[in-house]
Amino acid sequence: MSGAVMAEKRVFMTGNEVVAWAAVAARADVMYGYPITPQNEVMHYWTRLAPKHGKIFLQTEDELSAGFATIGGVLAGKKCFTATAGPGNVLMQEPVSMAEMMRLPVVVVVMQRGGPSTATVIYSQQEVTLTTFGGNGEGFRVVYSTAGLQELYDHTIKAFNTAWRYRFPVFVLADGYQAKMREPLTVYDPVERGIEPVAPEPYVGRPGKPGADRPPGHYRNTYNTEEELYAVVLEQAAEYERVAPEIVEHEESGAEGAAVLVVAHGVVARAAKQAVELLRAEGLKAGYFRPVTLRPLPAEALRTAAGRAGRLLVVESAYGQFARLVRDALYGLTVDVVPLYKPGLGITAEEIASRCRELAASSARTE
Amino acid sequence: MSFWVFEVRRIRIVEAYVGEYAAGKSEVAVNRALELAREGEPATLVDLDTVEPCYTLRPLQEELGAAGIHVVAWETRRTLGLGEAGSVLKAEARWALRRPGHVVFDVGYGVGGAKALNLVEGVEHERWFNVLAVINASRPLTATVEGIVAHVRDLGPVHGLINNTHLGSETTAAVVQAGAALVAAAGRSLGIPVVATTAPAAVAAEIGPYDPAAHPVRPLRRFMPRAFW
Amino acid sequence: MTVKPAMPESWRLETKPHKFCPGCGHGIALRALGQAIDELGIQDRVVFGCDIGCSLLAWDFFNVDSVQTHHGRTTPVVTGIKRANPELICVAYMGDGGGYAIGAQHLVNAAGRNERITVILANNTQYAMTGGQMAPTTLPGQKTETSPYGRDPEATGHPAKGPEMVAAITGEDAYVARGTVSKLPQLRRMMVRALQNQIEGRGFSFVEVLSTCPTNWRTNAKDTWEFLEKKMPAHFRTGELKVPAAAGKDEDGKKAVH
Repeated sequence: MSGAVMAEKRVFMTGNEVVAWAAVAARADVMYGYPITPQNEVMHYWTRLAPKHGKIFLQTEDELSAGFATIGGVLAGKKCFTATAGPGNVLMQEPVSMAEMMRLPVVVVVMQRGGPSTATVIYSQQEVTLTTFGGNGEGFRVVYSTAGLQELYDHTIKAFNTAWRYRFPVFVLADGYQAKMREPLTVYDPVERGIEPVAPEPYVGRPGKPGADRPPGHYRNTYNTEEELYAVVLEQAAEYERVAPEIVEHEESGAEGAAVLVVAHGVVARAAKQAVELLRAEGLKAGYFRPVTLRPLPAEALRTAAGRAGRLLVVESAYGQFARLVRDALYGLTVDVVPLYKPGLGITAEEIASRCRELAASSARTE
Repeated sequence: MSFWVFEVRRIRIVEAYVGEYAAGKSEVAVNRALELAREGEPATLVDLDTVEPCYTLRPLQEELGAAGIHVVAWETRRTLGLGEAGSVLKAEARWALRRPGHVVFDVGYGVGGAKALNLVEGVEHERWFNVLAVINASRPLTATVEGIVAHVRDLGPVHGLINNTHLGSETTAAVVQAGAALVAAAGRSLGIPVVATTAPAAVAAEIGPYDPAAHPVRPLRRFMPRAFW
Repeated sequence: MTVKPAMPESWRLETKPHKFCPGCGHGIALRALGQAIDELGIQDRVVFGCDIGCSLLAWDFFNVDSVQTHHGRTTPVVTGIKRANPELICVAYMGDGGGYAIGAQHLVNAAGRNERITVILANNTQYAMTGGQMAPTTLPGQKTETSPYGRDPEATGHPAKGPEMVAAITGEDAYVARGTVSKLPQLRRMMVRALQNQIEGRGFSFVEVLSTCPTNWRTNAKDTWEFLEKKMPAHFRTGELKVPAAAGKDEDGKKAVH
């Protein structure tokens, strides 16, 4: 297997390992990282695989350094990524802001842990606001929220292509449960499946003498005047909005005419999906909507689904961070949005189902 | 009762389960401890996972205690920041071999391999000490004979192999048996016996008492899915 | 016939005259660096990283690929470039705030890992672009906007000795020196030897440059020179602090050592 991407195969893995293997499959060249639970095994496995595949790794002094070194790797023309969590994600926002400003295709994998601050090392969905809109900017970045190890593999591969195709920073947003959970998945070489890896290209060190054979590459994140910056940000906004329809992804079922539409993302969406299947088997008209991309949010699809539903139940392991994105997308619609927030706690299908039953019963009473 | 009879009766089993990350060490160790406890001797199960202890045995302590196993593991509420502030060895684990009866160690993964056992007092004097490597050939790094051989060599002294090849909820007899062939070949190459194949109870029943490579089949009751959430 | 100013070939003519204040030391430090790049013939391989603060004004200074960042993160950015493409000659240029305060962890760890990069740090004893605040390098008694009664070492410590610290923690094959904009030939030699150390793949290289900031010091030409030549050397000794055996002695540099 030395050097080659693993042939298509059913395997048993943990989420963090999946990221490392997927990065190899995506033809990533470099990882710069810093230890933080629960993402450590991403580095553990990347470092185990690196010599066999000719990959580069450096453990930096902190997440700032990991993020900025990742920017350096990208400038040098390599597919480069890092992985972090919690307080590390807070620090990571500084380099990602620079990547946004310079439109650099960095890839960051986040395994959410409890917050605020150090909190717990285990699980939450409390890094949604930070990952979608962190940094001192406009949030021109792509955020894939995965719901299981197969998706973690697929979307880590996709993240590199999205980054290099559109030149916006890309996050793969998972959580401590996905990082540590074990389940079977199919690994494959994307090339074998017709997914051509987008080739990276260097920003610095291109052939020729700068100023003689070619203009020098001069990259900055500082602008002199408000007008200059305004033009830059507007251009980025226009480009982000132009490509957003090509990037957005969602999953839905039974939304049409649903009395209750359960809206969830990430690993919670697995429970939501199960709950909806359970309820439909009971004869309750329940639907399910899950944005896969939290940035850009599939707002049109969400509005359409919500417009056909009686009520929305927004479920998340945070206190309304995801719901804020949802409500913003629904602005102007009159549909009732009911929360089920459990910050830092896992949510089971049964909990969601029983809340849906309550909602259905209460709306039956009011009708 | 003569002295030597007493000695034989008191021979105890001391086993350490080592292996790759997510190979199934905890599942195999828990089942082994239960098997030993059922025979009536005192049995101790030691969580020696110094990498991510909070994800292994702690939610199961009460249930295992009721089954007659003395569990040596942290309870999360009694520690702070496990997996973050560094991994903390419970003092009781260091002295586990002073306990009467059988002792089963669940050793976490890591580049140190079986070296975690150096943390246990008296290991070098234990006469019947067995280090068993748990192999899941559905894990990419141990999916080939060469991969298994290289992995086991990295672990340090290993006395036996356990074929624990599975695909979680998708495990079939075919998956287990394909793994058995690989582990058997690796065992031949390493000169280390394969002591058992382990499989979920239903699959174990389907395979029968011995797998096609003639390894005894031990049925597993699955605890770990609950240990995690 | 027009007289062309003597500029290093690696300077980018279109962005000259540069934007530094009259009497600023950055122009001299960058002249030394430009001459060193010319002398070594590495213009097509150099990647120049600059930081925030006045060093960012150099973002389009050279005809070499350049990237500007902030807060001393220039060190990890060029580390990331160098490790991803070791063929490139990577230079991180920053001020004393970036290197010794907000980005100190990057300098410390890059030096500790003996990264094959070159860090050039301008020490002008204060934060210049933010309006003259106290820096780790501010001299005892020196007035800045955040030490209006003069820096009190009892309260805020003594001036940071960067090269001494770097020399203590970096590899045996690292090159560490402190030069001054008052001695251009020596400074140029130090830059050459620092870059040479990277080209040879020996180890980390670090040059602190004692620099001037008349604008924030509020000094005329004479007092600026006196501050640079009399006050700063009382705390910051110039010369080579660490030289790999393979680099040999530098006679020019030796003569210039105080």
